[in-house]
Amino acid sequence: MRAGRLQPWTLLVACVVAIYGFILGPIAITTAVSFNATNRSFFPPRGFSLKWWGEAFAPQWLQPLQFSLELAALTALIATIVGVPLAFAFARHEFAGKGLIRAITLGPLILPTLVTGIALLQFLTTIGLGRWMGYWALLIGHVVICLPFSVRTIAISLQAMPGSVESAAAGLGASPLRVLRHVTLPLITPGVFAGMSFAFIHSFTDINLSLFVAKPGQRPITVAILSFLDFGFAPTLAALSIISLLIPLLLVALLGRFIGIGNFLYQEQARG
Amino acid sequence: MAEAALRLSGLVKRFGAHAAVDGIDLAVAPGEFVTLLGPSGCGKTTTLNLVAGFLSADAGHITLAGRHVEELPPFKRDLGMVFQDYALFPHLSVADNVGFGLKMRGVAAAESATRVREALSLVKLDGLETRKPLQLSGGQRQRVALARALVIRPAMLLLDEPLSNLDLKLREEMRIEISALQRRLKIATIFVTHDQSEALTMSDRIAVMRNGRIEQLGRPAEIYERPATRFVAGFIGSINMIGARIVGAPDGNGVARLETAAGPAHARLPAGAALGAQVTLTVRPERLKLGPPGGAPHAVNSWPATIERVIYLGARLELRLRLADGAVALAEAANDGATRWSEGQTTQAWFQPGDSWVIAEAADST
Repeated sequence: MRAGRLQPWTLLVACVVAIYGFILGPIAITTAVSFNATNRSFFPPRGFSLKWWGEAFAPQWLQPLQFSLELAALTALIATIVGVPLAFAFARHEFAGKGLIRAITLGPLILPTLVTGIALLQFLTTIGLGRWMGYWALLIGHVVICLPFSVRTIAISLQAMPGSVESAAAGLGASPLRVLRHVTLPLITPGVFAGMSFAFIHSFTDINLSLFVAKPGQRPITVAILSFLDFGFAPTLAALSIISLLIPLLLVALLGRFIGIGNFLYQEQARG
Repeated sequence: MAEAALRLSGLVKRFGAHAAVDGIDLAVAPGEFVTLLGPSGCGKTTTLNLVAGFLSADAGHITLAGRHVEELPPFKRDLGMVFQDYALFPHLSVADNVGFGLKMRGVAAAESATRVREALSLVKLDGLETRKPLQLSGGQRQRVALARALVIRPAMLLLDEPLSNLDLKLREEMRIEISALQRRLKIATIFVTHDQSEALTMSDRIAVMRNGRIEQLGRPAEIYERPATRFVAGFIGSINMIGARIVGAPDGNGVARLETAAGPAHARLPAGAALGAQVTLTVRPERLKLGPPGGAPHAVNSWPATIERVIYLGARLELRLRLADGAVALAEAANDGATRWSEGQTTQAWFQPGDSWVIAEAADST
């Protein structure tokens, strides 16, 4: 009886352990591989060397890395600037065509990015804007696929805020603009920054769309890594992967520390 | 008579085809505490939101101290409101929460700080200025909300079920405190609640609401002892309602003879009750007495009854009785040890004519 009751529990624990194993294992192995002294990716690493890390900071890699960072930052900024009014519209107002506009805005969330990439490529060529290919196409495409993240997160923070807080401010003599400035915006700030970091991360880690619209010489780090994979998985790539992993991690940690987006990421609603 | 602090006339608010507020007239005197009491959906909160300006009326007028405010947005109405969920600003400290209204009014920082301190001390929260709302208990949040509403010295205080999120003991404490504060500040107040005991203990007058209308407006004792309708009688406290017919003309004290299924009765009539009319005879359980077991029946309003159940309430006993016609009646007796009641015992249930009240509605109507 006792063993029978324990079995499902044991199975669940095993599953959870396995899931964490598969999350952390690859990261651990990749990290280890990047310290190989040989020029092949052995695990366990043969010898210890920092030369691949040195290699990873060569201009060949720093340039796409910087490109990716700039692209992601600009994408996140635009997605947020466009996302805030859209989120207000979706969360607060009823208007004709709302369902359709919302579906179009959030569509890229469920559409394979690969499809969006091919479609964008086709579209720009067809309407004669093929020369936009490269940076502008990348930026437009990234904003399109990142916008749902900021809109959704901001809309959720608006909906989570009890409406009575704004009524209370109005009752205390605050005009609608001052309610927005002193109450609404401060309260959705964590949501705005969470949405911004989601957009940043999604842009920074995108490869599907970038693969189609990036021009040689203006390649994001992900595309650069993929191209280099043709020559085999060198330890440099391991080091680069870890760098690409650390950047979003650092961003989330910083925002969590200073703005408290942690509540947002981990669904701990704190209300007053 | 002084100008009313608030006057509502012919107030109507519809949501689609449904009239949530369906023609309300009400005047609140300066310094008066008026409670809007009713079940959920009766329109009490909608009425409050109309006064505050969060909703706009479809018809009717709202005047605050003689000034029409229907067209004014909430932030120009100068009212202090306390919300059911307190609606504190979670990102601001207690002091900034309380000082919010002063800041919006452009009160200088030094004066504002003094007034915030005074307001916090008024609600006994001295020293908590720097806390955030999340670090406060429910009762403390309630006090902050109250201080925030009062510090702006509003023309009127609006309280939207402010006690419903507190536990029982705290609720009873806050009842007394809010009442005392309101009396001291002499601020006209509208209090919305569905809790009859809050309404009875705190109000100068109670407006019992139902389906968007005021069913009865009066002092707590009037509402309790002379309910105008069966709804009001049933909503506040427990009550015995017995179908009756007026068979005699009222005497000098307004007491007339009635016929009921349980037996004849003498009871006080409301003005305008016609001979022969079908009415409802009401007696509160605490006014329904039980004859000493085996004793002689009293002269009037005395019906044989069987005690079906004795419910022990500590200081009091609730007795469920079965009358001769099969109807159930409730009586309440002090648990004074003088008489022991037991289930199955037969006795006489009786009441003084002055302890009853007749409602001019037939028993089967609602």
